[in-house]
Amino acid sequence: MNPVLEIDALSVTFCGKQAVHAVDRVSFSLGGGEILALVGETGCGKSVIAHAIMGLLPGEAQVSGRIVFKGRDLLALSERERSAMRGKDCAIVFQDPSRALNPVHRIGRQIAEPVLIHGAGSREEAHRRAAALLERMGLSPPGNYLPLYPCQSSGGMNQRFLIAASTILDPSLVIADEPTKGLDPGRVREVEDELVRLTGGGRTALLLITHDLAVARRIADRIAVMYAGEIVELAENDAFFDRPSHPYSRGLLQSLPEHGFVPIPGSSPSPVSPPPGCRFQARCRDGKAVCGGQHPDLVSAADGRMVRCWQCR
Amino acid sequence: MRAMDALKSTNRGAMALLAVFLCMAAFPSLIAPYGPSERSMPYQAPGPEHILGTTNMGNDILSELIYGARISLLVGFASALLATGIGLAVGLTAGYFRGALDEVLMAFTDVVLIIPKIPLIIILAAFLRPGVGILILVLGALSWESIARVVRSKTLQVRETGFVMSARCMGFPPLRIMASDIVPNIIHVVLPKFMLATAAAMISEASLSFLGLGDPSMESWGAMVSSAFTKGGFIREMWWWYLPPGICITLCVLSVAAIGFAFEAGEGTTVRVE
Amino acid sequence: MSLSADRLTRAYRNGFLPGSRRTVFRDLSLTIRPGETFGLMGNSGAGKSTLGRVIAGLEPPTAGRVCFHGRDTALMNRSEYRAFRRSVQVMFQDPSAAFNPKKTIGTSYMEVLDLIGTPRAAQEAVIAGILESVGLSGELLGRYPHQISGGQSQRLALGRILLLDPEYIVLDEPTSALDVSVQAQILHLLKELQSERGIGYLFISHDEAVVRFMASRVGRIEDGRLVIEGEA
Repeated sequence: MNPVLEIDALSVTFCGKQAVHAVDRVSFSLGGGEILALVGETGCGKSVIAHAIMGLLPGEAQVSGRIVFKGRDLLALSERERSAMRGKDCAIVFQDPSRALNPVHRIGRQIAEPVLIHGAGSREEAHRRAAALLERMGLSPPGNYLPLYPCQSSGGMNQRFLIAASTILDPSLVIADEPTKGLDPGRVREVEDELVRLTGGGRTALLLITHDLAVARRIADRIAVMYAGEIVELAENDAFFDRPSHPYSRGLLQSLPEHGFVPIPGSSPSPVSPPPGCRFQARCRDGKAVCGGQHPDLVSAADGRMVRCWQCR
Repeated sequence: MRAMDALKSTNRGAMALLAVFLCMAAFPSLIAPYGPSERSMPYQAPGPEHILGTTNMGNDILSELIYGARISLLVGFASALLATGIGLAVGLTAGYFRGALDEVLMAFTDVVLIIPKIPLIIILAAFLRPGVGILILVLGALSWESIARVVRSKTLQVRETGFVMSARCMGFPPLRIMASDIVPNIIHVVLPKFMLATAAAMISEASLSFLGLGDPSMESWGAMVSSAFTKGGFIREMWWWYLPPGICITLCVLSVAAIGFAFEAGEGTTVRVE
Repeated sequence: MSLSADRLTRAYRNGFLPGSRRTVFRDLSLTIRPGETFGLMGNSGAGKSTLGRVIAGLEPPTAGRVCFHGRDTALMNRSEYRAFRRSVQVMFQDPSAAFNPKKTIGTSYMEVLDLIGTPRAAQEAVIAGILESVGLSGELLGRYPHQISGGQSQRLALGRILLLDPEYIVLDEPTSALDVSVQAQILHLLKELQSERGIGYLFISHDEAVVRFMASRVGRIEDGRLVIEGEA
């Protein structure tokens, strides 16, 4: 089956006073109906990848590699072609719905807006679709929700409205950037259900960017762990959480509440000058001499997962 | 990105222009061909000796123009400084302490907002000898309201940030917190308002001088236009007398305002890697 | 020696009409003993942060009193209140707003030492000592707040509070804005510092797992009331 999205050796460097290597030769693919969770600490580059796919990087960003979406290399397209795709074929849902929703417009209008902008229907048609979408989301009767202003509903509800607005045109790819950050536990579940419902049809692919491993555990099909701008492990959900391979992955799981909040000592390396050899080596308990000298590649392990580690071979 | 480049070149042009006016104000004796009291034949047309001709008293118009820059810039910046000072004090106090003090200060601000500047100066001119000092005082004392409001709203915001609350928690005295923690973080909204207040004050000064209410001992640009009209320059179609000061007023105000707008628009952008 | 809240109520006026008050919480009582952690849970908007601020003296209660070492803070004289002010500190949620963006970290640290009267000559050593306790190096002192990460910022904020040698720290969602791995580091640091220095914590968070990890006694605010559980 052809993947919806294929990232091939994507690298992003920000050129300022110093060159910041945010993303370093990242590759992965995503098929329709699949949820891939991209997890990692703040600063590991996961949001930069999302912005690169959507074409939202600032001018000083240098991008190399390929981003193939439904067979077309997005990096080779013009800005006009990319902006025609935003909202229609690929959509992004940001964290913090209170910032993303316009406080002076009603929800109904904001959900219907993408339809109007992309010329996919008249005003009545757009509102009809918005109402139908809310019904499918289980918010019925939609008449109770469409006339609301963002300040009149909770953060969790607003996040669901935002997802609705982003997906009303049935995009093939949805990127959710920390969609559950700052939400109460009950609201987090609502947003999760919404995201799962999105991919239920088998057509839409979801790239879930999060540092919340619990959410990834509950809804993702595959997990990709990023560290210092690289993918260090890529595995199926169950396989990953049962037996994480990479020392960083293991460290991450240890620092979860259920395992006692065991911290990983030290902090991530600076993106300005990444260390030679393995980038996690300074914080790794199992580090050996080869780890400091040579930079490991991302290779397949026996059970089909990919790992970037000299000790995991 | 093109808008930012256009903004930068506008800003540079405006700063260059303002620099010219500042030179005219600071070193008039170096630039002006004649001193303020040197006289020759009156009502001369532009010629090799007097590039812009002479007035009804025989003063060189170009020299008057150059010396006139002083008043405009002095009144402009000084009254804006006064207004900004009062506005900062009122806004900071209201925003930091809130409560009853805030309500009282804001009510007072509303009252000041209503007072019209120019009629007040006209009335004052009837009782006091008009002069640069009075001008600066009145213009400054009546222009601080919008600065105070902006300062108050930013203060309310900054007051709730972690580091200000920490400072309060640690027991720093309020004045210290306002000066050291709040002001540096709100100055970026005060600067453009300062520049725009300068521009407004310059226009007010020019208008008042034109009406004859400015300082009679110093021939500002507005007074020049006024003289040109009342002393027979208009009838004699001496456009070289009344147009240049008008153009100077316009250009000076424009350059100050442009810099003000540039301050408003230009917030440094730092790249954050997430 | 404890810090306690005695029947605290906090209400806001919502207009000039009498009766248009919004009550955040009413009749709350709790005690934090030296060296122990009291965990405060509740949904967002329930009033946990407000309670933290009232106990720390940043906001006045509408009714009730805050008692420090047995004395009502509202009745304290100047020097007693100053001692209270020093001894009870607050650490906030947002690491990016913990320091004045226009000052270097070093400047922010030194001004605290100036405030408590530490002589200039001794300041460098004191700061070095604190940095070691929070596990950071001195090179961060020359940086501006936007040049440090969230985890480093929270540690530095903690360090700055420790300069005052407080008896109690109100921690308002200190790790909610941090990644899971960094959170683990900060929680361990907090526990370490507590056992070394005997500081009492009022730990506020909406994350139940974190609260139960840190606290020996736990309370939950719901509908403006506080329900205290037994030993956690």
